[in-house]
Amino acid sequence: MATTLTWHEIGAYAIASVLYLAHLIRLHKSVENAARILLGIGVVLHLADIGVRCYQGVTPVSSTVEAMSFVSFLVAAGFLLASLRYRLAAAGAFAVPASLVLLVLARIAPSPPTTPQMGSLGQAHILLATLGVAVFAFAAVLALLYLFQDRQLKRKKFERVMEKGTPLDTLDRLAHRCVSIGFPVFTLAIVTGALWVARLGIVHHPEDLRPEYLFAVGAWVAFAVLLVARIGAGWRGRRAAWLTLGGFGGTVLVVGAYFLRYVA
Amino acid sequence: MANSSIDLLLVGVSHKTAPVGVRERLAVEPDAVDAALAELTALPGVREAVMVSTCNRVELYVASEDADRAATSLADVLARRAAVGVAELEEHLYQHRDAAAVRHLFRVAASLDSLVVGEPQILGQVKQAYDNAVRCGTAGATLRACFEEGAFRVARRVRRETAIAKNPVSVSSVAVDLARQVFSDFSKRHVLVVGAGKMSELAARNLRQHGATLTVTNRTRARAEDLATRFGASVADWSDLAGAVAAADIVIASTGAQRPVLTLELIKDVRRLRRGKPLCLLDIAVPRDVDPQAGKLDGIYLFDIDDLQKQANEHRAERAEEAEEAETLVAEEHGRFVKRWRSRQLGPTVSALRTHILGIAQAEAQRLFGGMGEREKKAALDLADSIAKKILHLPQMALRDDDPDEGVSLVVAVQRLFALELQEPAVSLARDDVSRAAGKKAAGS
Repeated sequence: MATTLTWHEIGAYAIASVLYLAHLIRLHKSVENAARILLGIGVVLHLADIGVRCYQGVTPVSSTVEAMSFVSFLVAAGFLLASLRYRLAAAGAFAVPASLVLLVLARIAPSPPTTPQMGSLGQAHILLATLGVAVFAFAAVLALLYLFQDRQLKRKKFERVMEKGTPLDTLDRLAHRCVSIGFPVFTLAIVTGALWVARLGIVHHPEDLRPEYLFAVGAWVAFAVLLVARIGAGWRGRRAAWLTLGGFGGTVLVVGAYFLRYVA
Repeated sequence: MANSSIDLLLVGVSHKTAPVGVRERLAVEPDAVDAALAELTALPGVREAVMVSTCNRVELYVASEDADRAATSLADVLARRAAVGVAELEEHLYQHRDAAAVRHLFRVAASLDSLVVGEPQILGQVKQAYDNAVRCGTAGATLRACFEEGAFRVARRVRRETAIAKNPVSVSSVAVDLARQVFSDFSKRHVLVVGAGKMSELAARNLRQHGATLTVTNRTRARAEDLATRFGASVADWSDLAGAVAAADIVIASTGAQRPVLTLELIKDVRRLRRGKPLCLLDIAVPRDVDPQAGKLDGIYLFDIDDLQKQANEHRAERAEEAEEAETLVAEEHGRFVKRWRSRQLGPTVSALRTHILGIAQAEAQRLFGGMGEREKKAALDLADSIAKKILHLPQMALRDDDPDEGVSLVVAVQRLFALELQEPAVSLARDDVSRAAGKKAAGS
């Protein structure tokens, strides 16, 4: 269910995505500024859109699609804020298109025919999971950028990183910070989710376990290992980046499973 | 009294014409600048003076009515300072006048005449030289126009519109730039210099300017200590090389060793000690000091002299391309400057020409006055006036349309043909319409 407002915000994200990609491939500082302005417009429109929906009683935690739209908003807004402080233009070429895809998926999907009635536990679960996934998505973008720049430097292809790159230690530090914030949130999401499932009483036998439970636990383990190994064994850099991507991949599978189950 | 051409004269030496041995003898200490400027303006024929003195050039820009005389006395002054004969210095000296001198100044300010084309310091040095002249009162209308409205403007345009100074072309600054891809903030970083070489010294100094702390190590401790005092660095023991490397974030290696000093095993140990913190190795020694395999390890960023040199060369090639663009800009600005300068001469020239011709006509008419009545006198004056004005009409039109780009300036030609002395030199080139307004006024008078 897409309103005019939705189309405008999708348009703004789309143009911003193209500009960030163009900036990554070539082109000027001015392109980055234009991209940032458009992204700002998109974020504001998106916030207004979410506000309108809330007013109509459709909150971000009311269904998977709304939650996806909310994740998209958080990633876009988070990137926008971070890009004001750090040299992150290159990350924009990953973060903004990711936001765009999520938003489009959420909006072109038919709205769920009947939203299963959920209590406050269910809503808390969706909210926490949404926040967690958004923060992990941001960490994944940074990890991707880290791997890209690391490879360029190792292959002695300096030109592009020297012009637009973010220092590797900044990327590593920011990604770590995101994971540190996302992990407790995601943990709570899993706990509330488990309680919710238990209360609904839909799992009685092992064969009732759905694959998304497994993906969620897998992602949780990946992030847990990442955090512990960083402190304990100094895991950073490439290895940490891959593990972040793995963990985020798990959460994507969870969201995907929900999306397919309740929407498609 | 004003001269029709741009009365700028330049006499100087630069890295292109004189070896450092000559340049250093001509260079003027900052605290001797005032006296030197006073000395220059005291020379016969020298009205204004600016002196640009850097390690790559010593140039005297003066405004002078008598360029030949001024050039000789400037050469004398320089020869005296260098304590050599004029003839000996002459082979290193160059001199430019008029538009050519302006062009040279523009190219210098735009860093096109620099040893490293596009290096950014020269503009600051030229500005400083000009400010000194302003402070000492030796910069008048001519030099003010050439520097403020000409050279600085050109340099700004070149900076803004070309990428001439975008990327570093020296190996040491490329090294620093690469380290910057790994570390965001040098102020918390430790740099270890292994061995001592000219290049490592430059890179280390550069890093220290960005706030990094330095440590030096060398096989001979005395040499390390000597370096350390010069850098303001601490000394690490050669026997604990691994420990010293582990404590550093950036290592600059340039020993004369025949085999790698930083072996793969050593780097692996270091990596373990650093617990995954990234390490940037800049190997500028030949033969190499770091085992090339080390660069494949996660979190180890190894750049050798070839990497740095290649990058520097690429930047140099880019810069050469940009320099061509900058030359076009300079030519454009130079053309505009000269044109404006000459056009500001137009008004006074037209005015002087009219006064001259009308004066002759009136004088000749007055010679007929004997025995004439008032009416006849007036008729004779009117006739003389109208003949003179008819004659003046075409030359005046031609002067207005004068285009100095065509090689011959009619304004200059007319001044010479009629030996015209202009009443007032226009002072500023600031606006085109000033001279145009002056032209109109003169035409209407």
